[in-house]
Amino acid sequence: MSHVVIDLKASLRSFWRDKSTIFWTLAFPSVLILLFGAIFSQSSMRYDLYVQNQDLTDGKPTYWSGTFTTVLNSTNVFNIHMVDASVNGTDYALANRLSSLLIIPSGFNASANMAFFTHGATTANVTFVYDQSTSSAPVVQSIVMSIVDKLNFELSKGVEYLAVEDLTIAPKRFGFIDFFIPGVIGMTAMTTSIFTSVSISARYKQNGIFHKLATTPLKRYEWILSRTIYNVLISYLGMAVMMLMGMAIFGMKMTLDAVSLLMVAMASLMFTGLGMIVARFVKDPDGADAAANVITFPMMFLSGTFFQLSQMPQFLQTIAQVLPLTYVNEGLRAAMIFGQTQQAIMNTALITVLGVVSIVVGSLITKWEED
Amino acid sequence: MRGIGLSNSVAIEVQQLTKRYGELVAVNAISFTVNRGEIFAFLGPNGAGKTTTVEILECLRKPTSGKAYVLEFDIGKNQREIKKRTGVLPQDFYTYERLTVRETIQYYAGMFDARPDVDELIRLVDLEDKKNVLFRNLSGGLKQRLGIAVALVNDPEMVFLDEPSSGLDPKARHGVWHLIDGLHKKGKTVFLTTHYMEEAEVLADRVGIIHNGKIVALDSPEGLISEHGTRNLLILRKTSPKAVLNIEKLGLKAKYDGATGDVTVHLNHAVGVSDVLHALSGADVPFGELQLKRSSLEDVFLNLTGVSLGEEESSI
Repeated sequence: MSHVVIDLKASLRSFWRDKSTIFWTLAFPSVLILLFGAIFSQSSMRYDLYVQNQDLTDGKPTYWSGTFTTVLNSTNVFNIHMVDASVNGTDYALANRLSSLLIIPSGFNASANMAFFTHGATTANVTFVYDQSTSSAPVVQSIVMSIVDKLNFELSKGVEYLAVEDLTIAPKRFGFIDFFIPGVIGMTAMTTSIFTSVSISARYKQNGIFHKLATTPLKRYEWILSRTIYNVLISYLGMAVMMLMGMAIFGMKMTLDAVSLLMVAMASLMFTGLGMIVARFVKDPDGADAAANVITFPMMFLSGTFFQLSQMPQFLQTIAQVLPLTYVNEGLRAAMIFGQTQQAIMNTALITVLGVVSIVVGSLITKWEED
Repeated sequence: MRGIGLSNSVAIEVQQLTKRYGELVAVNAISFTVNRGEIFAFLGPNGAGKTTTVEILECLRKPTSGKAYVLEFDIGKNQREIKKRTGVLPQDFYTYERLTVRETIQYYAGMFDARPDVDELIRLVDLEDKKNVLFRNLSGGLKQRLGIAVALVNDPEMVFLDEPSSGLDPKARHGVWHLIDGLHKKGKTVFLTTHYMEEAEVLADRVGIIHNGKIVALDSPEGLISEHGTRNLLILRKTSPKAVLNIEKLGLKAKYDGATGDVTVHLNHAVGVSDVLHALSGADVPFGELQLKRSSLEDVFLNLTGVSLGEEESSI
């Protein structure tokens, strides 16, 4: 174990002295967060919102259902898509793979009038049906909640006349930055681990460091363990910097729990193993950098780091489903932002399995010297 | 468990060692021994198999067949024991770029679970004023010196030095030679691969010449020169063709170079330099200056392999 600690200390010392690595690991993602956060936090980003108004009279919206729909539309946050009132809303959402559907139930108008009459003793409820596995649903849900809150405040100065039902998470205010920062944390874990594995393996092989290490009692698995721990620590460092930025600059509220920490560690493990597998087949450092870029760039852009998957064409969404970073990003958002513990655990479990498989395969095929 | 039947005075014993890469036979059934406390130089032209051999002895490659014992340990069974007791300077030593000289020595000492006197090692390789300099900022010669210090962190019984002065300028090369000589004086066994004839001749107690995967000669430098070298040469500068006629009368071979005006004379045991000078003086043949050139390992190598080792030789 002492060999692992010695190698780890040497690696961390080298990291601290390598300005280029510090830039790409910490400064670059931070700049991305600042830029994207500043741009999109102020923008009028629009989300798709499917609305089914079942509260109709002679095929036309009642007063309160029509008013509610008009208010939703006037926020300019949503692209409103109306769903036929005659279909089963939940079935429709499932069949059409909607991330969310707002149902204004029949009798909503009467309920709203009753709420006014009783001054909030009863409420008029709308139902928000959503797919927990999507990242956009909690954002939409949050916005709908805030609109309802605002409407209540304007109508009654705070007494709740209107309410949103079927919420499974605590209401939060989500914005682009809430979506973005967990994605950048996942991306940083990926780039740090893959580039470290592929590039360092190729360089150490070419300049003879592996050759020299092979002449010492240091065992190959000790070196691999040291490098894996190094990647996890650097990913944690990146995570800490980005969380602090999000909280200090954008006022974010994030949860740092065991699941999110485990997810980052397992993501580092998985990408370290993946990098080792790739490194086995590259001949030189230039080829290593190219190979690392070939892997990381598509994942960076197709795994919901910068854009929501629902905003991408269907075929790209299909590709995203087979990219591991997708599950890392979704899992981190679920754990850190949306409080969806179950989804976070499921994603973490999947990444843990992939991580163990990739690190075992990577360790078995990594060689310091050719026979 | 140490090898049975090996003498304590033997540091390395190689028996019928063979290494094949597909159809290529890099090392072909070689056998030799290296004695404890000696500097053994392994010479060979490009592709001769010297680096393959040394890497097998360092437990980095597996032989196809044959046996080898290092410090009485079987290379196939006791790799950990061998690694603990040997130090290795690989060809073109390289290590973590952003560790200082001192940190590098401490790092490798940790890998051997050793606690050397780091300052003493730094003094030994004369890097005291560079001890806090990053590896990436060292010159080639200083990197090699650091590599030698690293090879000594575990106080090894024997040291493998693979092309220790390759690519260095003459001053740096002599500095490395001085270090190797110091190791010898400390009683370390040194296994040296080099393509510098002068390096082998100056440093080595014994020299093994490998060619096409086979050892073609093995002896002390003096023994090899005596056995396989040409006779000493006498070079007469800026003289005339008449010198050749007078020298040949003494029964010696001589050759006139029209471009330089020099005459090269192959001396033998029967006729000495004074005889040549007396003959030229008697015939009133003038010359500018004279140079006596000793036969060297270069001549031995050329005679044995038919190949001349250039400065840019590489190895497999």
